[in-house]
Amino acid sequence: MNTRRFARTAGWLALPCLIAAGLLAWYVTREPASPFEQEQATTFDPALVSRGEYVARLGDCVACHSLAGKAPFAGGLEMATPLGAIHATNITPDPDVGIGAYSLADFDRAVRQGVAPGGRRLYPAMPYPSYVKLSDDDVRALYAFFMKGVQPASEPNIPSAIPWPLNMRWPIALWNGVFAPTTTYAAKPGQDALWNRGAYIVQGPGHCGSCHTPRGLAFNEKALDETGAPFLAGALLDGWYAPSLRQDHNTGLGRWSEPQIVQFLKTGRNQHAVVYGSMTEAFNNSTQFMADDDLAAIARYLKSLPGDPQRDGAPWQYQTAATDARPGAHLYATRCASCHGLDGKGQPDWMPPLAGATSALAKEAASAINITLNGSQRIVAAGVPDAYRMPAFREQLSDTEIAQVLTYMRSTWGNAGGAVDAKDVSKLRGHTDPASSSPIILHMR
Amino acid sequence: MNTPLPLSDVPLGEPVNLSRRRFLASTAVGALVIGFGLPMGSARVQAATTNAAERGTQVPAFLEIRPDGSVRLLSPFMEGGQGTHTAMAQIVGEELDADPATFVVEAAPPGEAYVVMENGMRITGGSMSVRMSYPTMRRLGALARAMLLQAAAQQLGVPLTELTTQPGRVVHAASGRSLGYGELAGRALDMPVPDPASITLRDPSQFRWIGKPVKRLDAYDKSTGKALYTIDLKVDDMLHAAVQHAPRLGMTVGSLRNQAQVQAMKGVHSVHTLTGAVAVVAERWWHAKRAVEAIQVDWLEAAADSTLRAMPADFSTDKHRDFLAAQQGPARDDENEGDVAGALKNAKTRVEATYHNQYLNHAQLEPPSALARFNPDGSLEVWLPNQAPDMFRADIAKRTGLDPANITLHSPLLGGFFGRHFLYESANPYPQAIALAKAVGRPVKLIWSREEEFLRDVLRPLAVVKFRAALDDKGLPVAIEAVSATEGPTEALAGKQGDKIDPTAIEGLSGKSYAIPNKRIAQIYVKGPAMLGYWRSVGNSLNDFFYEAFLDELADKGGHDPYELRLHLLRDNPRLTTLLKAAAELSGGWKRGPYTAEDGSRRARGVAMASPFGSHAAVVAEVSIEHGQVKVHHIWEAIDPGSIVNPAIVQAQVAGAVALGLSQTLLEEAVYVDGKPRARNYDLYPILPPSRMAQVHVKIIESGEKMGGIGEPPLPAVAPAVANAVAQLTGQRIRSLPLSRYTFS
Amino acid sequence: MELRINQKAYQVEADADTPLLWVIRDDLGMTGTKYGCGLAQCGACSVLVDGNVVRACVTPVAAVAGREITTIEAIEADDVGKRVVAAWVEHQVAQCGYCQSGQVMAATALLKHTPAPTPAQIDAAMVNLCRCGTYNAIHTAMDDLAKQERAL
Repeated sequence: MNTRRFARTAGWLALPCLIAAGLLAWYVTREPASPFEQEQATTFDPALVSRGEYVARLGDCVACHSLAGKAPFAGGLEMATPLGAIHATNITPDPDVGIGAYSLADFDRAVRQGVAPGGRRLYPAMPYPSYVKLSDDDVRALYAFFMKGVQPASEPNIPSAIPWPLNMRWPIALWNGVFAPTTTYAAKPGQDALWNRGAYIVQGPGHCGSCHTPRGLAFNEKALDETGAPFLAGALLDGWYAPSLRQDHNTGLGRWSEPQIVQFLKTGRNQHAVVYGSMTEAFNNSTQFMADDDLAAIARYLKSLPGDPQRDGAPWQYQTAATDARPGAHLYATRCASCHGLDGKGQPDWMPPLAGATSALAKEAASAINITLNGSQRIVAAGVPDAYRMPAFREQLSDTEIAQVLTYMRSTWGNAGGAVDAKDVSKLRGHTDPASSSPIILHMR
Repeated sequence: MNTPLPLSDVPLGEPVNLSRRRFLASTAVGALVIGFGLPMGSARVQAATTNAAERGTQVPAFLEIRPDGSVRLLSPFMEGGQGTHTAMAQIVGEELDADPATFVVEAAPPGEAYVVMENGMRITGGSMSVRMSYPTMRRLGALARAMLLQAAAQQLGVPLTELTTQPGRVVHAASGRSLGYGELAGRALDMPVPDPASITLRDPSQFRWIGKPVKRLDAYDKSTGKALYTIDLKVDDMLHAAVQHAPRLGMTVGSLRNQAQVQAMKGVHSVHTLTGAVAVVAERWWHAKRAVEAIQVDWLEAAADSTLRAMPADFSTDKHRDFLAAQQGPARDDENEGDVAGALKNAKTRVEATYHNQYLNHAQLEPPSALARFNPDGSLEVWLPNQAPDMFRADIAKRTGLDPANITLHSPLLGGFFGRHFLYESANPYPQAIALAKAVGRPVKLIWSREEEFLRDVLRPLAVVKFRAALDDKGLPVAIEAVSATEGPTEALAGKQGDKIDPTAIEGLSGKSYAIPNKRIAQIYVKGPAMLGYWRSVGNSLNDFFYEAFLDELADKGGHDPYELRLHLLRDNPRLTTLLKAAAELSGGWKRGPYTAEDGSRRARGVAMASPFGSHAAVVAEVSIEHGQVKVHHIWEAIDPGSIVNPAIVQAQVAGAVALGLSQTLLEEAVYVDGKPRARNYDLYPILPPSRMAQVHVKIIESGEKMGGIGEPPLPAVAPAVANAVAQLTGQRIRSLPLSRYTFS
Repeated sequence: MELRINQKAYQVEADADTPLLWVIRDDLGMTGTKYGCGLAQCGACSVLVDGNVVRACVTPVAAVAGREITTIEAIEADDVGKRVVAAWVEHQVAQCGYCQSGQVMAATALLKHTPAPTPAQIDAAMVNLCRCGTYNAIHTAMDDLAKQERAL
């Protein structure tokens, strides 16, 4: 190319580029509209605060924004990203480091659109693509709770460890433009109120898809509601495999009744499973506090999501184990059978069965490996820590032994999850820590 | 457990007035008992003085002979598996002329009468029980026999000189008459305790039980679940308690968020705030445990004036190890002979290396517990695992303000010893149990859950040792220097450095017998944030590892076989030469390897020695690498405790010490992160499982030298023997424990 | 609920999720079965349920209602158990003894299923922890029991 001509062309292009850049700059830093622009919330009805506290339970805000032993919502939970660690922020009504200076509209933009005052974009670790579905009433209530129900705390925010230029936030706005919806939940005609309430909680405040929906290349959830087949179809995140919440017989809720789903979310356990991994936090801090009606609604909605037999594989059926000389069989008998039974059937509802467990049927072995390495954190139901917990085996079993015992577990009693590779155990061992054997209680007030 | 330094200052309580009623009340087992000489509690017994010559002469305080002839012996020493109760029955029985199998042995209450050790103390630990009381306990048996003879002489109306005994009976050979001890016990009451000086002890060549593999008295009860430990005890009207400890030592209770909810939980009697803990008292322990776990406590940081060693929120074991490694001094010398600096300067070859070990938990299988009862008369009874009843009673008196005479202390069997049952300010449940019993007005048994035990257990110390050595032109060591940055358990309990070096910090670096002309062993005292305690073999459990592994480095550097080098360095020490050769011979002759074993595995052997607690040990270990982990196939151990009382128990103690030695070598490590122990149960604190045990072969050598200990001496040489074998097999120097931190291929 | 322990029926009032261990120890006062870890790690609480060895600390009591439970208290009422106890005494296995109830129960369970176990079978089944390190003695005692059986 001729240099001179290039310069001339460049000159012609400069103006549109500048305009585009200006538009872009505006777009990526703008404060989006909020229906609350004109609303000055000054007095907070205690009932509204209390309603907001419940919404905060539905949204499980505390799980990320609080640390055990520290002031509620003073921030601090570290989230590892491929670029560096980020920390959940202080969302107490402290005017300097918290959100005390936020107007209702500011609050709304942060919660539902991921935009902080001044236009700074939040990382989508904050599940605003789900929270966007929150109703105006729930946002108003949530705001009331954070302003009046939460004590201000001056815990400073921890700067992210992401280096420049990767720490620039404006590209997130472009990501939002592609992946984040902008509208609140609209009731689906043709479905009853219970179903719609369930859909609202699951898609919106409950942000179940954050863990249970597979993500695309841009780390976007591949579907945000039941119109997309990947919605809640099971996903790998942070060393855990969050199983399908669809009607999948093996890896989903196909074998669970609605009352069993309610029981699981209310008490942390049922005849099929006991909460573990990241779900323990969701249970301890959120689902057990949901009203029975809401749990029933969630169950109704989840049971309406069809499974995918092709993805899920041949339906599991219990098979009696044959005599097995594999080393994993002996490890299982000595290390696992006391609780989970030689027959793999567990001791429902206290120790979960491994026969037919999603962790034994899903192709992803991460959850099985993780819980075996690190044990379970304590389940605290109705304020009382669990009677039984899963021990950690990382100090007792080698990568090979864990692979052997899990391979046995995933290929016995009709389980067909498949073999576990010692290398995968090694990988998870390297970047996970054992679960605490002390109950961790996060307070909201 | 080693002798703690400040013990001599500990009040041992008042002399016990052994009135018959009190004696029975404190020990009664319910059966009709005719006490042997019990009413003699009068002036004579009490006058039986505190002077050493007459220690252990208060026969009635120790012995009851029942009508059926069985003998109940109150042992000054606690039984925690080491077999001391059986040994006491052997020793006393030998001189009393009563078969040890007819003995029932229980732990004696506190009291001056039971101070029988030659060092004037009463503590079960430091592998001292038998060796420090042996002549005294023999004499006790002989005195009792003399009293029975006197009684028989009266009853039969014959001269004393015509009487003899055979096991359990006094015999009048001339008339063919005899009386069982049980028949004589009543009359023997009236007999004065003979002058100890008048007693002749049995000629050792005539021993029937001492030195023989007499069966343990507790074997059957312990094989059938009948043996009772503190955790098993029950008294009328008793409540159960569980605690939740502060996450870090020193923190205190701020507020309880959900007391009302917990109070309303099933079975809960009451909720209590204690120092650094909350407690629930309930009708059942399970209820108490679940309820106390449910309490949501806002903990406060330790106050500046806390008497406890406050655990900082940023303490981590790895960081503390680095901190120790960075210490430059000042150091205090424990041994300094010759001219180390000069020898190092002029050395042909200099060798330097830094070693470290790991913190350890005791992890005894019986979780700590204590049972406390206030009686209507205001007196207090406490059942608790302990290794020094007088010290514990004095502590209880101090805490409660009660006169020690109003405190009855029972010392049940210990579910594991290992140094866990010393008077550790922050690591014993009895102060809590007493406070709770007082608060609820009913007897309370408190059990620490395994998790609460791991949170409060005191740790075996950590040390970083810097070695320097000089080799001469023949490759032989001419100088060795070891400077250990550490804190010993005794100085940790005292809270400060003493005037003299704490032997429990440095033993095993000090006290080596190798003829190296220039040596300096020194300690840099570094007070740490973790509370420390005694762990089986105490300082030797780490220091012999450092020294003996470094000695192998010197051998390799100097081009000498490590076994031959040791023989050379012990050339003027016939006792240890014999011992070392015995270990080699036991292993089929010294061969270092590597070689291929019959099963095709590549193996190598290592050797090491140690001289802890008055005894000497030499160990040969054989290892291979299996699935990346060290497999120890055999441990051959020769031990010379001078002389012994029960070879079967000695063998068992060696096997047990080897197991614990292997456990600390292969797997164990107490890790703290953010001021908290990572492990709160055996899942993250693995102890040696059967699959990692070695085949243990024991050779006992009775050199006839002064009697040494047995519980601890076999342990320290295990780690270095294994480490030396691994180094030989893999070419990788082992300068730290546990081996699970290494990767072998 | 009704529990059958050592051939006797007991009425117990306990929450369904109470570990069998604590019902045996506290409600029924049988303390031979020991609490060591509460996490199925050590085996001190081993009992037999329908002849199989079970860790009572992780066995919700409701799960064993109506089944035949054997504890160490009745070990000598069982022919195999009696032989195990005799071997334990003969080989002087116990030291502190705290784990030995569980060891004896595990041994009895093994011998009931496999009267003459090979050394490998002994190793595979005798996995309870012992802090005193009586493992060699346990193995010798088991070996001896197996040999006695083979000699019959």
